[in-house]
Amino acid sequence: MDSLETFVVESAIDSEQEFYRKIIEDNLASLKLAPAIGRIKVVLRPEDSLFQMAIILREVGTKVTTIDIADVEVKPIAGVVIISIKKEQYIPELLVKLWERYGKANISQPDRWTVAISTDKPIEEAAFIKEMLVADPRHRLHENLVDFAIRATPEGFRVRYHLYKGNRFLFVASEEAMKHEWIEEAGAMLDELIEGGKK
Amino acid sequence: MAVLLPYLYTGGVHKHGLLIELMEDLGGYIIQKVVTGTEVNLIMLVPEKDVYVVKKLSDELLGVLVEAPLTGVEIAVVSPTLASHHLPHSACDIAEYLRHPGANTNMIGLARGMGRRVSLSMDYERKLINEHDIAVFTFGSFSDCITKKKPKLFEGIEIPIVVTGGPADLKSEDVPGADLYIGNIGRVSHRLRRTEEINALDSLNEGVSKIADNIRKQQAKDPLAVLPARVMKEIENQIPKIRTVLSPAPLTLQLDGIRVKLPYDEFHEKIEKLEFDEGVTLSELADISRSKMKNYILIKCKSKSDVGFAI
Repeated sequence: MDSLETFVVESAIDSEQEFYRKIIEDNLASLKLAPAIGRIKVVLRPEDSLFQMAIILREVGTKVTTIDIADVEVKPIAGVVIISIKKEQYIPELLVKLWERYGKANISQPDRWTVAISTDKPIEEAAFIKEMLVADPRHRLHENLVDFAIRATPEGFRVRYHLYKGNRFLFVASEEAMKHEWIEEAGAMLDELIEGGKK
Repeated sequence: MAVLLPYLYTGGVHKHGLLIELMEDLGGYIIQKVVTGTEVNLIMLVPEKDVYVVKKLSDELLGVLVEAPLTGVEIAVVSPTLASHHLPHSACDIAEYLRHPGANTNMIGLARGMGRRVSLSMDYERKLINEHDIAVFTFGSFSDCITKKKPKLFEGIEIPIVVTGGPADLKSEDVPGADLYIGNIGRVSHRLRRTEEINALDSLNEGVSKIADNIRKQQAKDPLAVLPARVMKEIENQIPKIRTVLSPAPLTLQLDGIRVKLPYDEFHEKIEKLEFDEGVTLSELADISRSKMKNYILIKCKSKSDVGFAI
């Protein structure tokens, strides 16, 4: 699936459709979501105060553990674990996890690429750190998708329904109490998008 | 009474003091002085018959003198809320563009302005908006909302209302309660920079200037007892504390008054007792009240017919 191979915005009035297409493009760009989205369809019905969106996601990266982004080295006599970072982009997540476990006082960063942890059981801790989950792109994607959905929706539509399962994302927002058929309609949009790929 | 015309001077800081001195000699007023690095912006009111003198000096100083029709106008830019849906684009862009011709703008985000059925404004918000000269409401992209649902936010607003929105084909008459509708500035998530967006901002400035001119014309029929610019100058001379205020416009001019950004309780008596050369005090010429904005002081000048004389 190519990124944004299907990008449909539907509304009763053509010009309004264009405005929302632009808003969605801008928000996708600012959240850097465009590469993650394969197909997207949005239906606007301002007269019913309704916003429906269905998204099929592309393959996203797998979970990242410490060993994927860094080398872990043990110095048993000094009681220190040295982490030499290879991929800088995950440092914030890694540090948050390490701070939580060992406390800020026990962690030092002699330089940009090195994190040193003082601990009583360096060998066991090194083994743990190697397998520790640092970042989950799927989790981050989920957060971004929800953020994107809220940003794209008209602000007053505060009654929201969202579903995120596998590579499918469904979002319905309205100002009125949510109706079951709206969610079903959005589900039908999603099915349409899935079929769209078989051609 | 001399007719004063609003002008904006942009030039280097070097020797700009000459211009300030000239303005004192001519009896004009410096409304606002903004120094950014080596550049200075002076917003001023120049006596009509002396404009050529100022023009000559500004040419000598290699500066640019342009008309600033919105000088001395305080505009409320009202967005449904302060959420990221409306800010910084397009509401901030609109406010920023309105400042080009000299207006002072305040951004007001309503607490519950979003939505169709649920949108509403509070008494406090309406009073705050009414303290301004003109209100610009920034709405979204759906014509159904703009024409049918959002106009309820105009209830209780007594000042001229300008509405911006996405649909380009709506007319001012289609929006009940609005004095002017400007299309092509709807909800956007990018900085307004495309040709049609800039054109829309230009026509917004033009429309708002026209409304301000109309208010001035109405005012000319029954002039104010004292010019707000004159009050401004007297406050600067008699209440030195105003010089220590860090707001960008410590004294904000309005078409019929002035907002003084000093705490009300401490300073309102001093303002009321402000003396003019003619031997009158300000409390005789204007209503002085607590502003809804922070704890500032709001001065609204009375008209000549109310007071019986004008200075």
